[in-house]
Amino acid sequence: MNAITNLSPNLSRRGFLGISGVFVLGACVPGCAPTPQAKLATGTLTPNLFLTLTPDGTVRVLSHRSEMGQGIRTALAQIVADELDADWSRVQVDQADGDRKYGDQNTDGSRSILLNYDRLRSAGATARLMLRQAAANHWQVPLAEVAAQNHEVIHAKSDRRLGYGDLAGEAALLPVPEQAPLKESAEHRYIGNKAVHVDAADIAHGKGTFGADLTLPNMATAVVVRCPWLGGGVKNIANQPTDVPGLIGIEVLDPSPSAGPVFAPLGGAAVIAEDTYTAMRVARDLQIEWTESANHAFDSGVLSASLRQALEQPGTPVPNSEKGDVDAAFAAGGTELSATYETPFLAHAPMEPPVAVANVTAEGCTVNAPLQDPQSARGLIASWLGYAAEEGEKVTVTPTLLGGAFGRKSKPDFALEAVELSKRLKRPVRVQWLREDDIRHDYFHAASAQRHRAIISDRGHPAAWLQRTAFPSITTVFAAAANAPAEWELEMGFSNLPYAVENQRMESAGIRPGVRVGWLRSVCNIFHAFSANVFADEMAAAAGRDAIEHRLEILPAGGKLTVPGMQPPEGHELDVDRLRHVIERVRALSEWDRPRAEGVGLGFAVHHSFRSYVATVLEASVAEGRPKVANAYVVLDCGTYVNADTCVAQMEGAVVFGLSLALHGNIGMKEGAVVQSNFHDYPMLRMSEAPATTVELVPAQGRLPAGVGEPGVPPVAPALVNALYAATGARYRALPIKV
Amino acid sequence: MAIKLNVNGREVEADVAPDTPLLWVLRDHLGLTGTKYGCGGGYCGACTVHLGGAAVRSCQLPVSGVASSAIDTIESLAERHPELVDTWVQNNVAQCGYCQAGQLMSAAALLDGNASPTDADIDAAMSGNICRCGTYVRIRASIHAAAERRAEGGSA
Ligand code: FES
Ligand code: FES
Repeated sequence: MNAITNLSPNLSRRGFLGISGVFVLGACVPGCAPTPQAKLATGTLTPNLFLTLTPDGTVRVLSHRSEMGQGIRTALAQIVADELDADWSRVQVDQADGDRKYGDQNTDGSRSILLNYDRLRSAGATARLMLRQAAANHWQVPLAEVAAQNHEVIHAKSDRRLGYGDLAGEAALLPVPEQAPLKESAEHRYIGNKAVHVDAADIAHGKGTFGADLTLPNMATAVVVRCPWLGGGVKNIANQPTDVPGLIGIEVLDPSPSAGPVFAPLGGAAVIAEDTYTAMRVARDLQIEWTESANHAFDSGVLSASLRQALEQPGTPVPNSEKGDVDAAFAAGGTELSATYETPFLAHAPMEPPVAVANVTAEGCTVNAPLQDPQSARGLIASWLGYAAEEGEKVTVTPTLLGGAFGRKSKPDFALEAVELSKRLKRPVRVQWLREDDIRHDYFHAASAQRHRAIISDRGHPAAWLQRTAFPSITTVFAAAANAPAEWELEMGFSNLPYAVENQRMESAGIRPGVRVGWLRSVCNIFHAFSANVFADEMAAAAGRDAIEHRLEILPAGGKLTVPGMQPPEGHELDVDRLRHVIERVRALSEWDRPRAEGVGLGFAVHHSFRSYVATVLEASVAEGRPKVANAYVVLDCGTYVNADTCVAQMEGAVVFGLSLALHGNIGMKEGAVVQSNFHDYPMLRMSEAPATTVELVPAQGRLPAGVGEPGVPPVAPALVNALYAATGARYRALPIKV
Repeated sequence: MAIKLNVNGREVEADVAPDTPLLWVLRDHLGLTGTKYGCGGGYCGACTVHLGGAAVRSCQLPVSGVASSAIDTIESLAERHPELVDTWVQNNVAQCGYCQAGQLMSAAALLDGNASPTDADIDAAMSGNICRCGTYVRIRASIHAAAERRAEGGSA
């Protein structure tokens, strides 16, 4: 028996505490001594890596994924809190360091929920079960009679209740159950609903900590001047300044070979100062002579011409992609349609340029930086510092908030620069990339070209379809000999083209670029969705058909699609019914059949990527010689989703991101050097160009969770090209669109 | 060189070269890191603060040119514009958040001069602020909503 029931069966734990404040003392009538079993142990419950419940009732959820605006810190906490039946206002989120014990931490590929949904649900459910068990033991009632509800465990029969914080210590004494019952999805109250982001208030008060916001005692700031062409290093600095107040010194960093070690710094002259502006000013005026490298001759225009040329010859067929007999079908003739599409290099340009703080001491190294994968960065830093494998724990890598990333910050070259400089200077060093550094020395989204060729029926249906793609593969960064597109790059909208075609072949070609390439939000889906969606629109137009009607006709009837090339994970096979559904929904949402004003066109595109389905309609016109997008309609089916509002926000953001690349995005290289340097010549979409955006989420229906951060991007550019065609009759087959 | 400034209603002093942009004085010397560096060229608006009540790009403003004008930064915005800041939070405007201090400062300056801005007013006032995450539609909606809340005279 316990003190509460003895004294006052009807007094709730909360009410009781409210009166007495101190459980043991306040619970006893004079002369009564609490019996050991009567007292709830005080303590902290930590049933797994991701959840801590402290005696004051605070639930701390550990986010092992990095926050870059996709709302992951909030979503992970929602999952845990829901299964825990926690009071949301008592949930806090901590950020995990990079550590193998968490499993995959590579916040990339729109996979955080997909990978962690089940394990975080069971993290919360396990704690809930333990709290119920602790309460049942305490009250000496069967487990089945106690229920968890909003941060309390309740025994309805006797009208008793205990708060989670009060139960934490007792629950912590219990063995952690191997399995705990999960809620039915109908019981979820956080999962599937809106939550205000856990960092929203900090950000709106200027308090969020981004990469550059952390100051360590005695920290110096470095700005690095890098060689305009990849692989060049400092040969000579003509003007070594010495008497600048605040200047600490200049350190030469050696260039890394053009491929490997993976994500090594580019090298250059690091100007180190007591403050950022001094470093910037000295860096700006340095006159540096650079060593040569073969990349000095690189020209993006020449590369694009080579890509176009590659499309004229047979490429490497995607294994098993040949259906029917394409060559015979073309030889037999009919209405032939062919088109070539081109897209340029792009820079990520996250709003926060790369920045990192490192502190290397005799004991080890700490890094605080906006990193998408603190775990792999930790390993790279350890090997950079020459630590033996067993010394890995001497490195601590803690992600700050990421001021945007889009794939850029999964490459920790900027953190390695800070590590190297801190090691040399024996003091904490912050490396601050300037916007110019960011635009010129990115891991660029690859330029590409596609050629589509088809024989179409009078209804615009493809009887034969040959598609070729050519682009520099991301694998060129990892291996000096790599050249061909990887199957995972082709799986991004090329080898899994969903249309029903009797005679079909898919071929690819690669090329080595003279710059670093890397994944950018939705990666190869950008150009594959672009070319395939515009070409499909061209088929419909050639036959005078409605674009959506036509698209629904050329899709298979339904069911799971068998695709050549790389296979999707089990349970994530391309589902034609879901593809059809988002098309039908966007047709309704956009009022596709409602006539628009003269000169206004609707354009449609649909794409499956990151296991999600997105259909987009844009309403566009040309005003004063420029494309103007008034409205965007997006339907997203991402299976089970966590924060509904975040899903909508990601689609809104994807429209803007997609329009930026469709209308403005263009990085060019001449003599190895990037031509653009800042937002004046690498513009972003602005408020005045942003369309009103309407988003619809397809209900979860118990489906597996899928990607949200990236899949909204691919349909945007082709939807715009198709809308401009509808508005003006002009077909733009190259990005960015120049009307 | 020691320069006296009036920041968020307080007298402060910084020992900096006179050509140092206000942005870096705030961030590196006064510890006010809410104001962000985005481009250093006046293109992005991440560094927007109020100088004598007007929205300015602090990366373009040598500290010597500030004189005694009042400087207000994101750190004090909630005191003057509680509805705006709260609307921003409740509407999940921020994605990564890096541009948002600048967005909020531009929005506040707009509302200070125009209690109920139209979409065209918002376009004009906000187009100097880039948001790479693409939060424009929420910024627009939240400026309208905050203007209404302010007009109703409370945090309803
Ligand atoms: S940092 Fe000042 S306008 Fe971009
Ligand atoms: S919220 Fe990320 S740049 Fe605006």
